[in-house]
Formats: sequence, C-alpha cells, structure tokens
Amino acid sequence: MDAYQTPGAELPATDPAALDRLKRFGGGKLLGEMIALFLAAAPERIAAARTAFTGGDVAGAELALHSLKSSSAQLGAMRMQRLSEQGEHRARGGALDGLPQLTDELEQELTRVREWLISVRDVGAA
Amino acid sequence: MTTIAIVEDNADNRLLLQAILDGLYDLVEYENGIDALAGLTASLPDLVLLDISLPGMDGNEILARIRTDARLRTLPVIALTAHAMSGDREKYLAAGFNDYITKPIVDETILLSAIERWLVSSRGRSS
Repeated sequence: MDAYQTPGAELPATDPAALDRLKRFGGGKLLGEMIALFLAAAPERIAAARTAFTGGDVAGAELALHSLKSSSAQLGAMRMQRLSEQGEHRARGGALDGLPQLTDELEQELTRVREWLISVRDVGAA
Repeated sequence: MTTIAIVEDNADNRLLLQAILDGLYDLVEYENGIDALAGLTASLPDLVLLDISLPGMDGNEILARIRTDARLRTLPVIALTAHAMSGDREKYLAAGFNDYITKPIVDETILLSAIERWLVSSRGRSS
C-alpha cells in the first residue's frame, strides 16, 4: 500500500498502517466498505462545512470538520485529518475567517486521497 | 447475549464498531440522541458506547439525561470521541462517563477491555 507524499510537506500525507489495521479488524471487505463510505461522505462534509461557515453557523462547521477529521484519521488520510482539525479548532474558537481557503485545500487534498484509496482498494480486490 | 447500544451518527464509525464487536455482543444502533433515549428506555441494553459529537443533542447532554433517568442512570456508558485534548479523559469521567475511548480506534483490545471491565462491574452491582 504505497503512500504519497505531498511536495514540500514535512509530515506524511498518509499512514498506510491504518489500512492494514482495518484489514485486521474486518478483512478486505471492511476496508472496501470503509473506503466507499469515506468517498461518499467526505465531499458532503466539506460542502456542509462550507455552507455552515458561509451562513455563520459555527457549530455546524465544527461538526462537519470534526466528522471529516475522525473518518480521515481512521483511514490514514493524515494530511486531511490535520487540515480538518485546524478548521475544527478555528470554528470552535468562533474564527470562521480562513475557512474558505481551508475548504479549498480540503477539496484539493480529497482529490489526492481519493486517488490513493481507489488504488489501494483496487489492489486489495485483485 | 449481552447487548451493547451504539450511539454514533457516522456510518463509517458504526461499520467499524460492528466489525470489531459483532459476534461478541448483540448490537443496537442509534444515529441521534432523540432516538437513542427513546430506544434505551424501551429496551435497556447492558452498556452504551456514546459518541460525543452528534448533531442536535450531543453526547454530553445524552449522558446527563441518562444519569437523571431512574430507569437508565446505572447504565455503564463509555464515551467515544475524536476530541483527544489533554485533560479530556478527566473531564468526561467527571461528567459521569464510566470510561473514555479515543478515535481513531487503533488498538481494539483497549475498547474490548473497557467494555468487559464495565460489564463485569455492572453485573457485580446488580447481583
């Protein structure tokens, strides 16, 4: 399970050990289902965070980013986890400025994570 | 079989808990606090795994209602949370949770040990 490294990033973008862990918990079936749920929910959570902060809904933004953080961490999408956590902390502190840029970064990161998880899933299914 | 109620809004987290706990316990699942409180009252489980960040009524409020309900108040309740800040454990235990498990779940034996510990303790109290 190859990881990818974001250019210039000091910390790893992914933790492939998280995927091995999911396989230990429930085999390739669980891993495939967790990936499918993540790929379905992550865009909705990013969109929900964007809608929430646009409307000044601090609690809504915090909840959406918290859920994204939790799911990213369980799948080893570490950079996405860190970005979500930054946004969650800002929202909790009532600081919604900066969140538009952060959700843009999350969408860009999701593109990379999607590619990574699909490659992992396809290898696992082979 | 021993019944565990899972209160968790995220489908991926529920699926993961099913993978770890299925076959060991009967599981009932609730996605929000309203459904959870109604379900717990209608059919008392042996233990509750309660997510903290839930839409609407959060885990802290659900716990407060459990602890003030004569039918539910002795239920063992374990907090499940991705809020892993320093001092959180003490905060949740002081609020009345029996135990505190952080997400992501990395070592399932920590969760399983906590469940068994509180099931044994609960059976000891009721016997």
